[in-house]
Amino acid sequence: MSGKILEIENLTVSFDGFKAINNLTFNMDEGELRVVIGPNGAGKTTFMDVITGKTKPTEGRVFFKGKSLLPYSEHEIACLGIGRKFQTPRVYLKLTPRENLELSCARYKTVLNSLFGRTSTAERRTVTGLLETIGLSLKADIPAELLSHGEKQRLEIGMLVAQSPDLLLVDEPVAGLTDEETEKVGDLLLALAESHSIMVIEHDMEFVRQIARKVTVLHQGSVLCEGSIEEVQNDPRVIEVYLGQQPSISDHQMKVLRIIASMAWADGELSRAELDLMLSQLSRLFSSDAEQQEKLRDELSVYVLQDVPVDQALDEIASPEERELVAKLSYDVIRASSQKSGSESINEWEARDYQDLIDHLDLPSDALTRLQTTVEA
Amino acid sequence: MTVETVEAVVDVQAGASVRRRRQALLTEMAIAAGITLLLLFIIPAILTASGQGVRVNQLGRFLALAIAALGIDLIWGFTGLLSLGHGIFFALGGYALAMYLQLQLPSGQIPEFFNLYGVSELPRFWQPFYSFPFTLIAVVVIPMLVAGGLGYLVFRNRIRGVYFSILTQAALIVFFNFFNGQQKLINGTNGLKTDTATLFGLQVGSSPVIQGTFYVLSVLLLLAAYAFCRWLTSGRMGRMLVAIRDDETRVRFSGYNPTGYKVFVFAISGALAGIAGALYTVQSGIITPKAMDVAFSIEMVIWVAVGGRATLIGAILGALIVNFAKTGLSEKFPEYWLFFQGALFLVVVTVLPAGILGWLRTEGVNWLRSLMGRREQLITYPSLEEDPDVQYERKNLGDRESDS
Repeated sequence: MSGKILEIENLTVSFDGFKAINNLTFNMDEGELRVVIGPNGAGKTTFMDVITGKTKPTEGRVFFKGKSLLPYSEHEIACLGIGRKFQTPRVYLKLTPRENLELSCARYKTVLNSLFGRTSTAERRTVTGLLETIGLSLKADIPAELLSHGEKQRLEIGMLVAQSPDLLLVDEPVAGLTDEETEKVGDLLLALAESHSIMVIEHDMEFVRQIARKVTVLHQGSVLCEGSIEEVQNDPRVIEVYLGQQPSISDHQMKVLRIIASMAWADGELSRAELDLMLSQLSRLFSSDAEQQEKLRDELSVYVLQDVPVDQALDEIASPEERELVAKLSYDVIRASSQKSGSESINEWEARDYQDLIDHLDLPSDALTRLQTTVEA
Repeated sequence: MTVETVEAVVDVQAGASVRRRRQALLTEMAIAAGITLLLLFIIPAILTASGQGVRVNQLGRFLALAIAALGIDLIWGFTGLLSLGHGIFFALGGYALAMYLQLQLPSGQIPEFFNLYGVSELPRFWQPFYSFPFTLIAVVVIPMLVAGGLGYLVFRNRIRGVYFSILTQAALIVFFNFFNGQQKLINGTNGLKTDTATLFGLQVGSSPVIQGTFYVLSVLLLLAAYAFCRWLTSGRMGRMLVAIRDDETRVRFSGYNPTGYKVFVFAISGALAGIAGALYTVQSGIITPKAMDVAFSIEMVIWVAVGGRATLIGAILGALIVNFAKTGLSEKFPEYWLFFQGALFLVVVTVLPAGILGWLRTEGVNWLRSLMGRREQLITYPSLEEDPDVQYERKNLGDRESDS
């Protein structure tokens, strides 16, 4: 069955006249993994507060599996099947991960049950399984305050799952994590998405790219647009609100950027080295002022994270100098990725794409050799 | 290493930890029984033999106060709610028993003080206190209900932290003023004397049998209270309380309603203070509204802070140590006790934030070891301890003599 798990109609939340959420309408299907992004102050966290009952809306309705959530308080909503992970990891620091999970896992949550109830074998087994899933089996019996930040994040996600909710709300799960930990959390969420509906709020665009299927952009308390990550990132309104302005580079410059980016994406991934190289080269190309370059780097990083087809863009780069420039930059970029992997040879897909590009650019052969020697030197 | 061996290791460890826990529990019970016997038979005998019979009465009173300290430890140490109003519950328990004792009169008479204020008929609410069983229940239940009711109003409105402390203190002052002003009902500021009352034909204040009985009762009820608190805090309930202290919001979002838990523990804590108040009153001979003095309720908190929060033994030790220090010092330097108390509190907060017992359990162990000239215990990261590879190496390679 794939009904709507979450329906929100004309939601408005105002704090002393300030509308944190403004006439927001939102739907989520059962089994969906949805990412919600938006600039600071877009109302993302307030949005979660309303769903989980922490904040009561001024207007509008919230339905979970067809049932209105408004009359319920936080713990009742949690029992209905909505689990929430907070921005900073919130676990019980003085308890061990096992005890943390057991508390969340318990089916009956009244005072009497806590007094006389015992942890059932089934619950114990669930907890052991969960400890394995979140990779904390060996640290199950030390106080949670000794865990690293990333482990706490995973523990908290584990606690959510222990509640066996139908809908998981996850607020910035990878804030402050290393790349490796980010990937682990991403894998964990993807694994959970097999059996749960999940809504993730996130800022980290690379992470969004790793997990996102459908993205909703919030802005000033309303939904700005919704769609796949590519659609969303190419939407000019999104670019505008994310950067607070129209793209500061010209269309033409944008095309150059897109071509280079497509080279970097040719092997299906964008390494840190490639990204750095692209950003520094391009920002230097588009601006001469150091401060301006710094700003551009941030802005460009949004554009280069998208892998879009470039065939048309290629034809519009007319002048030979520019063509040469594009070829040089592309060569730089694919070399960067090969250096990262440590092998001498440039990787297969990138090499092929580069060859295509060179063919397309139709450069004179002497220009080509000249440029390769400058780069290698 | 295959997955199965890891699981096997975990299973073996789980089994071992259950056995270890059972062993630890038995040891603890044996120690508690030993200390109880010591308190019941040996210490009073020694004190009486060495001409310090007064100290037995003091010890009995302080053991009663230790019961109140256990209550503070539950609400503050475990649940993180600093109550500055436990004097209310202490006094309620004390008054309940004192009223019963006051009524031990030939039929038709009413307690003497009523005549002073021209009251000739016993107020209605005194009537039930003719009954001994009712009094016993009242000692526990009245403080419990007051604490529960107050707690419900406060916690339902999500009043927490320092606001909770201020509110409990305000409630304390309200109760204090009420009791102080009601001459016609409970003899106001003079309080109720229990030492001149008679029970089973014996005068409560001077009969060694009665005082001895209450000493024994104090010891036994302290043991029972300790066992109860130990049971309460070791199971799921205990973990819930710690969870509420650590992060109440998380508790809420895990589907628990913390209000019920907090009301529950506050009521239990109030009941313990009530029992303590009743035992203390009989052994000191009087209960006055001064039991609801702001300073006394803060003192209770100091006992627990000194002994160690969230360590039940620490609360008992703290109550005994601070009170014996108090009598010892105030006998020698009557004016300076308050300064000592303040200094003690400051030292504990700054130097031993975990209290005496907390310190003993952590740094204290190493300090003792270094005193005995032994190496400090090294604490390694637990995952290393449990890593099957490391364990394999230890077992097969670690114990060998080095080659050199």
